[in-house]
Amino acid sequence: MTIDVTDQTRQSMLYPRREGIKDEVFGADGSIKPHWQYLLSSLETLGEDAFLDRVHKAQRILRDDGATYNIYGDRPGKDNSWQLDLVPAVISSQEWAEVEAGLLERAELFNLLLKDIYGPRELIRHGVIPGDALFCHPGFLRPCHGIQTPGEHEVILHAVDLMRTQHGELCVLNDRIQSPSGAGYALENRMVMSRVLPSLFRDSHVHRLAIFFQRLRSKLTSLAPNQDQPRIVILTPGPRNETYFEHAYLANYMGLHLVQSQDLVVNNGYVWMKSLDGLSRVDVILRRVDDWYCDPVELRGDSQLGVPHLLEVARSGRVVIVNPLGCGILESPIFLKYLPEISKNLLGRELRLASVDTYWCGDEQDLAKVKAKFTSLVIKPVYRGTGEHSCVVGNLPVERQQKLMAKILARPQDYVAQPMISPTRIPAYGRDGLQPRGAILRTYAVAGDHSYSVMPGGLTRVAQQSGEQVISNQRGAKSKDTWIVASEPERGAKEWESKDVAPVKEADVISLPSRVVENLFWMGRYAERAEASLRIVRTLFVILHGEDPPSPTCRRILLEMLTRVTTTYPGFLQPETDLFNAPESELLRVILDPNSPGSICANLNAMLYCADQTQELLSSDTLRVINDIRDGINDLEQLLDAYGPAPEEALDPLVTALMALSGLSQESMVRGVGWRFMDIGRRLERAMQTSAVIQSLLVPEVNERDQSNIIQALLLMLEALISYRRRYRARMGVQSCLDLVMMDDTNPRSILYQLNLLDQHIRALPRANENKHQLSIEARNSLEAVSVVRLSLLTELSQRQDGKRQALQTHIQKVTQLLGNISLAITDKYFDHRETSQQLVNSQWEGK
Amino acid sequence: MLYKIRHVTEYLYSEEVSHCYNLAHMIPRTSLRQRAIMTNIQVEPGTSYTSKREDYFGNLAYHFEIIRPHKKLVIIANSEVDTGPQHTDLRLDLGLTCGDALVMLQDARSADIRLAREFLHDSPLVRASAALREYALPSFEANRPLLSAVAELTRRIYAEFKYSPESTTVSTPLSEVLATKKGVCQDFAHLQIGCLRSLGFPAKYVSGYIETLPPPGQEKLTGVDATHAWLSVYSPTEGWFEFDPTNGCLAGEQHIITAWGRDYLDVTPLKGVIFGGGKAPKLNIAVDVTRQPGN
Repeated sequence: MTIDVTDQTRQSMLYPRREGIKDEVFGADGSIKPHWQYLLSSLETLGEDAFLDRVHKAQRILRDDGATYNIYGDRPGKDNSWQLDLVPAVISSQEWAEVEAGLLERAELFNLLLKDIYGPRELIRHGVIPGDALFCHPGFLRPCHGIQTPGEHEVILHAVDLMRTQHGELCVLNDRIQSPSGAGYALENRMVMSRVLPSLFRDSHVHRLAIFFQRLRSKLTSLAPNQDQPRIVILTPGPRNETYFEHAYLANYMGLHLVQSQDLVVNNGYVWMKSLDGLSRVDVILRRVDDWYCDPVELRGDSQLGVPHLLEVARSGRVVIVNPLGCGILESPIFLKYLPEISKNLLGRELRLASVDTYWCGDEQDLAKVKAKFTSLVIKPVYRGTGEHSCVVGNLPVERQQKLMAKILARPQDYVAQPMISPTRIPAYGRDGLQPRGAILRTYAVAGDHSYSVMPGGLTRVAQQSGEQVISNQRGAKSKDTWIVASEPERGAKEWESKDVAPVKEADVISLPSRVVENLFWMGRYAERAEASLRIVRTLFVILHGEDPPSPTCRRILLEMLTRVTTTYPGFLQPETDLFNAPESELLRVILDPNSPGSICANLNAMLYCADQTQELLSSDTLRVINDIRDGINDLEQLLDAYGPAPEEALDPLVTALMALSGLSQESMVRGVGWRFMDIGRRLERAMQTSAVIQSLLVPEVNERDQSNIIQALLLMLEALISYRRRYRARMGVQSCLDLVMMDDTNPRSILYQLNLLDQHIRALPRANENKHQLSIEARNSLEAVSVVRLSLLTELSQRQDGKRQALQTHIQKVTQLLGNISLAITDKYFDHRETSQQLVNSQWEGK
Repeated sequence: MLYKIRHVTEYLYSEEVSHCYNLAHMIPRTSLRQRAIMTNIQVEPGTSYTSKREDYFGNLAYHFEIIRPHKKLVIIANSEVDTGPQHTDLRLDLGLTCGDALVMLQDARSADIRLAREFLHDSPLVRASAALREYALPSFEANRPLLSAVAELTRRIYAEFKYSPESTTVSTPLSEVLATKKGVCQDFAHLQIGCLRSLGFPAKYVSGYIETLPPPGQEKLTGVDATHAWLSVYSPTEGWFEFDPTNGCLAGEQHIITAWGRDYLDVTPLKGVIFGGGKAPKLNIAVDVTRQPGN
């Protein structure tokens, strides 16, 4: 590829040294350090225009992968795409070797610390750590005392945030052990980088990340109490969690089940996953739910994210939880102060890797220092669960500084203080080209059989503004890939390939959590419902604005049908005749009003919610289409405005996207249980929608001209006009219309076509063994529905009586009722019926 | 003293409970002055999982899981316990003074003191306050022996507070108990713990039973005993001492310990999660503490 590089675009990809700014790229003599040279010169050669092309490509990939990061408090629908800066953070492998040694040591230390805290508490007994640091901390979970993880390590995953100080060394800002996030994003960043900058990536000899996840996977497997085909799950709080993308992504990447707490149940002292074919035992849980929320019996009683009695199962060793419950205490920044002493005590030596200076206000001498240096400090709460954030004192107005000090003095043990660190800068790409910015690196250690190993790289987050003091994704920081560049080719990449990963059992493939299956069913229903409504509204726009406007009767019947079929009552059924003359506002409401349960927007949002719940089962193409639909909803209002007189065209992109979605489920989904339920949802819904349209439009008796117009509209909505014309020419008759849209099993939109497929699906569903030949409720109803439709007598159905087709109405109502029965029977039988749980707490004192 | 204890807890639900998970603190523990000779616990309907373990505080925690529909849950805890009085040569007026105790607690030079300080801090139901401190302070002159001061505080609570079963619940805050001067044993135990912690002395909550004797000449009725609560205070040189503000005395042989913790929530007799059950389950409790002949 040749790139036309102008001087200007070359200029902005230059990274000159700036006076007075400590920059990691430049050595003491002002020259670019060797490990940065190749990257920076490549970027310069590439030029800004070409670089921007790569940026756009990266954004597309991230979007297609569904890479999101939810920021709490944002309104739904806001763009929450994962932000990646394509300029990687580079670290030389020589320096990394030292950092790695420090991180390994640190992970070992925290492991010993955890064992002591929930074991003998020698560090407290001997006064190495003041007891108050533990006893006053809400993260110290007394019920977790004595839990033991098999193997040598309690801490399986240890993460740290590192920042480069003005002296150029990496220093630990904090430890993340509760349920460290970000590793999945680091992996996604790496995938994107290797795709959009392939030659730069290849020639830079970057250490690979995959090995880290292999090690994690095999550690998880080794922890299983049951070594015969252990089942490992990732426990997520759900799609609204900030890092849900990563939970689904890692589940897929490592071949684990993604479950929410409602998918799990404790039974006979074991943990089970509720799946279609019953309960499947769970051996290892990689949790992304904070420990405090995991068990309402012994931990936080009002938690909705927990599994009752989970802690007791973990205690008995029948399930292993990673990281173990209770380890959140290790994130208390108080330990940073005592870490050197703890290290001398537990490891017998000083730590290689320094942490940021930390003063604990619960210590009298420290508190005096904090008072003296107050305005130059950052104040942090010792417990993250309270929702309190770190606070840069110097940025506060005096009045709030005083308030903060008063808060500290009231409960000094709840706060630590740290000096502001001005980070050494690295290049980041922004509006003004490459600019020096502060950055934080999060990296990870995972336990092996005897020792830890460190991820060669990690997730770098970079400040958006030059002087930014707090760098966090929640505050909009961008991420970077982290390249440990080797001077020699990497060794060891083959090490894990030889270890075979057990193939997934067939039974495992079927045992999806019931929740996932239920969501697939509803995803099918909502998608179909939205599509049907879109077609109806689109047709109505065309007819109402057509050159041959419908008669008032015709108009009324069509508009009332819309309200009935979409159930957006009162709509056109309210006794206000004006709506029929100016229906546009109500039509728009049916499309856009997210608060009206039958509106197109509401159905699409519901469909997207189900898609989020089943994300790990959807192909990347499907995710892309889902994204298109999400964008389509956001753009809809503007688009409708823009098209003005011909708003029907604004709906086309959504119809197309929904068609693509149904096409993908037909063409790219394995014909497993999940697919079957999604298709059952679709077929049920389409049969119901078509029935509703027929009933609303063909039951009322009208004059011949109106009848002809109404039939034409009906055929248009059901995508059957062309077939109809080919078959019956121009004459629009009720009988031939019913023949085509109700009884023709070759028309993929007819009722019978849906019923035949439903019947097939229902016969193929898993069922209990007793009475094998007796039909289930859903099978009986579907058989009856097929027969009712096939036995239709069209001459009888088209008979008119007292201004309507009574026989047709009864007939369609019968079909609708049978469809309802099927839906109910399936819901009852296959989906989980969550009962509401309550705490058994007696509010009355029971003693004397 | 040798006792047999039968503690029956019965929950009646308005709707069916499909399954439930529970944690009971109903089995008497062993302590310096108490030995549990026999304990057993029965649950109706049948359980699908049970386990007994020692918890963080050394109490006996009993877990059970029921996976069958039921509208009635019955737990019967039977035990045989041998109790003794606290240190027999207890001379409350000769021990460590309040002032010295505070200094030693502050310096925390022994493992014993360091661990005892756990009971100095706020716990979910007991938070230190200026009002509690102010109420207790008159009994705690710096040069007065700590245990004598605590004994006086115990007597003051007994004298000044009215025992009134209907006036408080688990969620009644201590400030209200202090203001209305009404409550039951749990309130009084929490109140005195709050007072002691507000002054800087570690105190723990003790739950258990107390033997009640019938009026002279009458037969003891069944089911008339009750669960009881009192507290234990820590003196750096002397150890832990139990006081009972509901009866204005030191805990003695008639006080049978089930469990101790920072407050009621650490040792709730029965807690858990139930699925179904409807609103407002009805709870019946019957306790019989029977003195056994013998030594």
